[in-house]
Amino acid sequence: MGPPPHPACTIPPVTAPTTPLRTQLRFSDLVRSFGRLPVLQGVTGAVQDGEAMLVTGRNGSGKSTLLKCLAGLLAPDAGKIEHHEAGQTLEPWARRLAVGYVAPDLAFYEELTVWENLHFFARMRRVPTDRIAELLERVDLTPKRAAGALSSGMLQRLRWAWALLHSPRVLLLDEPFQNLDEPGRRTTRDLIEEHLEDGGVAVVANPRELELPHHEPKRLDLAG
Amino acid sequence: MSQSASIWLAEAVAVYLKEWRCELRTRYALNTLGLFAFTTLVVVSMSLGAEGVLAAGPSVLSVLLWILLLFAVTAGLPRGFVHEEETHTATALRLAATPSALFCGKLAYNASVVFLLQLLLTPLFLIMMQLSVEKPLLLIWTLLAGGYGLAAGGTLVAAIIAQARTAGTLFAVLALPVLLPLLVMAIELTEIAVLGKAGDMAMPRLLLYDGTVTVVSLMLFPAIWNP
Repeated sequence: MGPPPHPACTIPPVTAPTTPLRTQLRFSDLVRSFGRLPVLQGVTGAVQDGEAMLVTGRNGSGKSTLLKCLAGLLAPDAGKIEHHEAGQTLEPWARRLAVGYVAPDLAFYEELTVWENLHFFARMRRVPTDRIAELLERVDLTPKRAAGALSSGMLQRLRWAWALLHSPRVLLLDEPFQNLDEPGRRTTRDLIEEHLEDGGVAVVANPRELELPHHEPKRLDLAG
Repeated sequence: MSQSASIWLAEAVAVYLKEWRCELRTRYALNTLGLFAFTTLVVVSMSLGAEGVLAAGPSVLSVLLWILLLFAVTAGLPRGFVHEEETHTATALRLAATPSALFCGKLAYNASVVFLLQLLLTPLFLIMMQLSVEKPLLLIWTLLAGGYGLAAGGTLVAAIIAQARTAGTLFAVLALPVLLPLLVMAIELTEIAVLGKAGDMAMPRLLLYDGTVTVVSLMLFPAIWNP
């Protein structure tokens, strides 16, 4: 018996397959306000197969809000988000389960160890446990340490391992290099490169330049 | 069982086991519920005294038992979803869990905590209040159905109030109208069990309440949980 199916494979399509084996994330005219404070005002962009997008802008320009909307964690007030994977268009709830998301406000169960946290989410996502060991080795993280006892850099490594657990086709990365040391930055840059090489897409909100040796990211400046 | 049903069940079981694992590391809910219930029981027992217990009679004591359970649940159950929001683990859960499976996993955990509380509290209550039960089997069924109802209603209200700032106060305010019909029926059934009276329709009504709260919760929860 083979490994359990990837969760994305169990997500029902809302449209008939048209362009197989293609990953695309498109968003148009996104508007989002918090009370009377407008944060996103008609933001449009698209990425597909092997492309990365760097979202820039000053503090409060809506970078994190945009990524939360794309992840399905916030509903935009207006505008459209389309997420296509393997020729299927994913519903908002399915989009939430399919994306890989790294963000500063992403937290884990402090009472549980790194391995227990990932094991819990692996069970939720029907991912074989071999994948946990593989990812922990990749991000150089000790499995037995309690999540509550991790340094901020190690916690960021755990966020990366968590985001890649289900091998998502779409990565949404909000300040993905935050608190990482130089080896950590190198590893995570390599992970992004490999993800793009594999045909995945990445939307990265980062205050600095995204230095990817083999991929030139698209740019979306929210301040402009 | 179909593949999607088995995936759903595996998710719910994973949530249930995670809740117990976290609880056994911190013992927050068990300590809160247990200490609250035990302290209140001792205070009530000492205040009433032997004469007071006899004067109160089975009707009043049935009310006291369920008030004890309600207050203990109010003190411990809201933590489930509130804690997820406070510690920001809700984001990871939203991105990984099917809402209905998450709700059922949390409900199963809350129900098991309430059952455990009842298992410890009820024999103590019966001994300290010198109550003899004419229909013990009916009392057990009442505790199971009533305990499940408390957990189901409590889990739903906890999910509703999780993102509010004054979650503790809101829980008590919102839980009252949801749990009041349950309490009336559970108290009536406990009195019937203690006195050995007839009352055939009370249990079906309690089970109907449990079923209704469960179905309504499963319908409402995705709207509460999702943005």
